[in-house]
Amino acid sequence: MKGSLLTSVAVHVLLLALAMTTLSAPEKFDVADVEALPVDIVPISEITQIQQGDKTAPKAEKAAPVPTKNPKHVENAENMGENDVDLKTPPTPQTRPKDQEVAAAPTPTEKPAPIQDSKPTESKDIVKEDTAPPVPNVKPEPKPPEPKPPTPEPKPPEPKPPEPKPEPKPPEPKPPEPKADTKPAEPPQSETGEIPVPQNVPTPQLRPKPPETKVADAKPTDSKATDQASASKDAKADAKKQEAAKSASSKQSDFNADEVAALLNKTDAKGGGAKRSADKAAFGGKKTTGGSTLSQSEMDALRGQIQKNWSVISGIEGAEGVIIKVTMKLDQNGEIIGQPEVEASGGSDSARRTLQSSALRAVRRSAPFKGLPPDKYDAWSEVVVNFDPSELL
Amino acid sequence: MEQVELAAAATDVSLWALFMQAGFIVKLVMLGLLGASVWTWALVIDKAVTFRKAQRQYDHFEQVFWSGQSLEELYRTLAERQNTGLAAIFVAAMREWKKSFERGARSPIGLQMRIDRAMDVTMARESETLEARLSSLATIGSAGPFVGLFGTVVGIMTSFQAIAGSKSTNLAVVAPGIAEALLATAIGLVAAIPAVIAYNKFSGDAGKLNARMEGFADEFSAILSRQIDEKLQPRPQAAQ
Repeated sequence: MKGSLLTSVAVHVLLLALAMTTLSAPEKFDVADVEALPVDIVPISEITQIQQGDKTAPKAEKAAPVPTKNPKHVENAENMGENDVDLKTPPTPQTRPKDQEVAAAPTPTEKPAPIQDSKPTESKDIVKEDTAPPVPNVKPEPKPPEPKPPTPEPKPPEPKPPEPKPEPKPPEPKPPEPKADTKPAEPPQSETGEIPVPQNVPTPQLRPKPPETKVADAKPTDSKATDQASASKDAKADAKKQEAAKSASSKQSDFNADEVAALLNKTDAKGGGAKRSADKAAFGGKKTTGGSTLSQSEMDALRGQIQKNWSVISGIEGAEGVIIKVTMKLDQNGEIIGQPEVEASGGSDSARRTLQSSALRAVRRSAPFKGLPPDKYDAWSEVVVNFDPSELL
Repeated sequence: MEQVELAAAATDVSLWALFMQAGFIVKLVMLGLLGASVWTWALVIDKAVTFRKAQRQYDHFEQVFWSGQSLEELYRTLAERQNTGLAAIFVAAMREWKKSFERGARSPIGLQMRIDRAMDVTMARESETLEARLSSLATIGSAGPFVGLFGTVVGIMTSFQAIAGSKSTNLAVVAPGIAEALLATAIGLVAAIPAVIAYNKFSGDAGKLNARMEGFADEFSAILSRQIDEKLQPRPQAAQ
């Protein structure tokens, strides 16, 4: 026994010595620096639905609009553009500046201004003619003008001595009109309502037309003659005017109120939104359509914000099956608009009521909601969040 | 119990350093378990040698016994030696036989019984020496892990107290204390596992040797009873 004991001790000492020397401190555990990767569960619609991009750009893996140059970032912008304000109107083409130049040339204002005036007057003439048509039938057009010519000549000067228009014959229509103004007795002229127009010196334009000058002569006679006669004369003159006006109107038929508005609008207005893009332009739609749904993790984050403020009282009887559905409208800052709607289903009646009111309190307390992606505002402007309160117990 | 300086010693985690860092109780447990391991292996060596020897002796004796050699002659050669195992049983039975015949045995049944007793006593003594200290192997095998666990628990307790003191839960502070505490369990297992294996092996071997002794005793008893019958039968006839 002694021998074996000695042997055992010797072997142990030997093994321990061996262990001490060979089994030194184990190698250091080198932990590689691992960076935490956020994993986001993305809805498939972000890939399958039309994404915001450029319709003319070549196709790429990720749709991206034409890069913008304005570095200023605008919060919550949805529409692409260089604007500082997020407008839905499309960006104005670059030809626009030319328009501005035309409009901006104010030096020749006097000339263009009369032109504009003349046009409206003509259009008004047309109106007259509409009224006039019935009259012409009655009148033997050829006769009245001939006899009257002498008379009208002297008269016109009387009422309109100051007017320089008579000299330029073309303004025939207008000279009579001023008279009409002075002489309320003449209904047809008043009807025409061209009172201010004649004063506006549209005459120069009409000068070239010789026939009109004759008409002008006739008109004065009309004015002097009896109402009927004058009316007939007017009608005749109107008819001639009508022709002229028609020709003029046919030339100007592409009148466009928008263009006029554009001309009148001298502000340096730019269309387009205020959303910036730095990526290379790639094929895509004007707007992201169905792709903007909240991803799982964004939804969870929203839910978490509510749950954090929700103190569910444990031990409510019949709270196991209760499902709470919160429907709320949010503005772009995450604030609740109006009254959030809380529906409860399942479980006992009292538990439902208790949980419903506590959920409403929690929702109110957790506003404004943070961390919602601004570019998906249309997805969470009205959001429905479901809860199972038994999970919170 | 002294507070262990964990954070400072955290750099060295070799075996010796772990042992030296350990608290007093843990050290005691480790040393005790080391002693148990030494004892276990001493027993293992001792028993292995003893059993090998015993087996060889049994083989040799049986060979001699069944060789047709005269039992008287065999007894004379063996009586002077210190015998173990089968030889001891044989010598005890022969001695009783001789004594009974020297004094003139009257009853064959009494003689037979005395011889059987003598053989049983010798056999019990022999099996006792075979199984001596095997129980300590069993004890080490079953209690070793617990003792090691006790050391571990105490060590972890101490290291947690030290963590509370250092006010840091950094793994570098926690780890060495736990490693050192676990060393106690490791030593306990190192001692216990061979002990359990050796106990099972040697108790089995001892059982086999005992069975062999019993078998020999029965056979020898049968031979002696035949001899008694042969020797005591003629006497009444001669007397008649």
